[in-house]
Amino acid sequence: MPKASIVVPAYNVAATLPATLQSLRAQTFADYEIVLVDDGSTDETLEIAQSFDCDRLRIVEQANRGLAGARNSGIAAARGELVGFCDSDDLWHPTKLERHVRHLDARPEVGVSYSASAMIDEAGLPLGLSQTPRLTNIDAAHIFRRNPVGNGSAPVIRRAALDAIAWRPAGEFIRDWWFDESFRQSEDIECWLRMALTTDWAFEGIRGDLTLYRINSGGLSAGVEAQFRAWERLVEKLTPLAPGFFERHTPAARAYQLRYLCRRAISDGDAAAAATLARRSFQSSRRPLWEEPAKSATTFAAALALGALGADRFQSLRNAVSGRTATSDQTL
Amino acid sequence: MSPKTIVHLVDDTTAGGVMRMLDFIETNPEMARLGSHRVQVVARGRLAAPQLDEEIIVSHLSVSWRNLPMLVGLRARYADRTLIHVEHSYTGAFTGLKVRHRTRFFALLRTAYSLFDRVIAVSEGQGRWLAERGLVREEALAVIPSCVDLAPFLALPGRYGAPRIIGAIGRFDEQKGFDTLIRAFRETADPDLRLRLIGEGADRAALEELASGDSRISFHGYSSTPAAEMAKLDMVAMPSRWEAYGLVALEARAAGRALLVAQVDGLQDHIEGGARAVAGGTVEAWREAIETACKTGPALHIGIAWGRISAADVQRTTPELWAKLLNKIAGHHHSRDAA
Repeated sequence: MPKASIVVPAYNVAATLPATLQSLRAQTFADYEIVLVDDGSTDETLEIAQSFDCDRLRIVEQANRGLAGARNSGIAAARGELVGFCDSDDLWHPTKLERHVRHLDARPEVGVSYSASAMIDEAGLPLGLSQTPRLTNIDAAHIFRRNPVGNGSAPVIRRAALDAIAWRPAGEFIRDWWFDESFRQSEDIECWLRMALTTDWAFEGIRGDLTLYRINSGGLSAGVEAQFRAWERLVEKLTPLAPGFFERHTPAARAYQLRYLCRRAISDGDAAAAATLARRSFQSSRRPLWEEPAKSATTFAAALALGALGADRFQSLRNAVSGRTATSDQTL
Repeated sequence: MSPKTIVHLVDDTTAGGVMRMLDFIETNPEMARLGSHRVQVVARGRLAAPQLDEEIIVSHLSVSWRNLPMLVGLRARYADRTLIHVEHSYTGAFTGLKVRHRTRFFALLRTAYSLFDRVIAVSEGQGRWLAERGLVREEALAVIPSCVDLAPFLALPGRYGAPRIIGAIGRFDEQKGFDTLIRAFRETADPDLRLRLIGEGADRAALEELASGDSRISFHGYSSTPAAEMAKLDMVAMPSRWEAYGLVALEARAAGRALLVAQVDGLQDHIEGGARAVAGGTVEAWREAIETACKTGPALHIGIAWGRISAADVQRTTPELWAKLLNKIAGHHHSRDAA
């Protein structure tokens, strides 16, 4: 049995998959397998995976079940006592697995080990932006508000912690679920928050931008409403687990979620959506203002500026101010 | 082994599980063969250890920073006696949901447990957690399930049809998760189903509010004859958010009732004992579980029948496990004396 498994959900990713697999093959840690789940791709994804030269690679094929369903099949097939995840357009730093294994070996009560991520663009070039979450002193309330795990390619998780949240819903006859496959968005945060509320496995991060997280520009704000609905549905789903917790923390968490969606709308130049989201965030809770005053003020000011200037002039202003040409910013 | 003198210390006489287990210890004939048992109530937070003459001291006390001075005092004053702690409360799910400062909490538990010769987990589920978190050193940890007198439950005729009357028994309190159960039950459509909530507690009004408008749901106080209450039920539901063991589940098994339990902590022991697991703790999961169980009928029978057999086993093995534990400690003490 390998010590660790890296689960790679893959759906129509012929363009980016080779780089992802190369980054995983190049890990400095020696004892691991790669479990690629081809989630019913209709492009060359499967052929590319099959022709990839790597003894560690195992391929699971299935009809399309979505991201959560692909991750679940990967977990079911994984044999390692540690399970990492890397989406098939992201990259892992060569030492990522080694660092997380060392972290988890040293800290037996940690169930989820994660790291910061550096953003790359479609060509794989660094955008000069990072997701830099808080690394220690993480409780369920912080996960709910700020999702420090950040993205689906950041965590390496202890098998025991995953199995503590496994369940088999009615109508599922093949394997358990860990991620909730009825979610098409917010499936990560739903899973982390459920684990934080129903088990005592700790979440802890390690230093370094060990994940390279790919940002795809354009069309971001199209899904804003759907994304917000998914988030509200996770709140509704998980509230029975800890009603008091959700009563206390939902307004602030909602404000952060709306601020995040507002930033996406700004990146997309959608002035009307950005203004509405900024207002709703502010109405839900002012906590983001005093917890993260600079970032909140910038976001809300940008929403106003976008409305006043229009998308083109705002983008020129933004490029002038930042000196960059990044078209989007998914940092939460 | 010669009979011993054993004192059981308790500081919370309102906790149902602890008091009922002590009742079992004092009245069960097999337990009596181990030695003479005496229960002593001590005030929570007192600083000095009480005067005790027994050879074996069993703590059923709650572990807290406030109680720590007395626990240290116990060890110091009775350095040559056997000290055993039974952990009735703390679990993994409790820690996940209720403890903000884990490091400090685990430091408390490790400190407190290290004062005892043996620490007893009341379920395999709880024992796994104590071991996994390194809270009790391996050689000091034992698992002995709690028990109550099951005879009146074993005497009931089992209920093997499709369940119609569902019961939830326990304190009306966040821990028991009856709010989730009521929400889930309200979403079931079958007009013939009934939900009986049996107990009392601070959340009663809130639960009644949740249930209002659904005439299938009713509330009942504790009965002095729990088996008579059980006789009215077809199925027992335990949606607890955390649970060190769950004596009600054991009683339901003994009574030959279908049983649904949340997949947490000590309730997992009952899944091996024939209960159906409900994972996830969501309203949807419970609605699904209730509807499936009420439709299932005959396929439930295997679990129910196994539940009866395995519950009777618990009643038999709990005193045996205590005997084995005390023997081992006695053997250890002899070899130490000889050396």
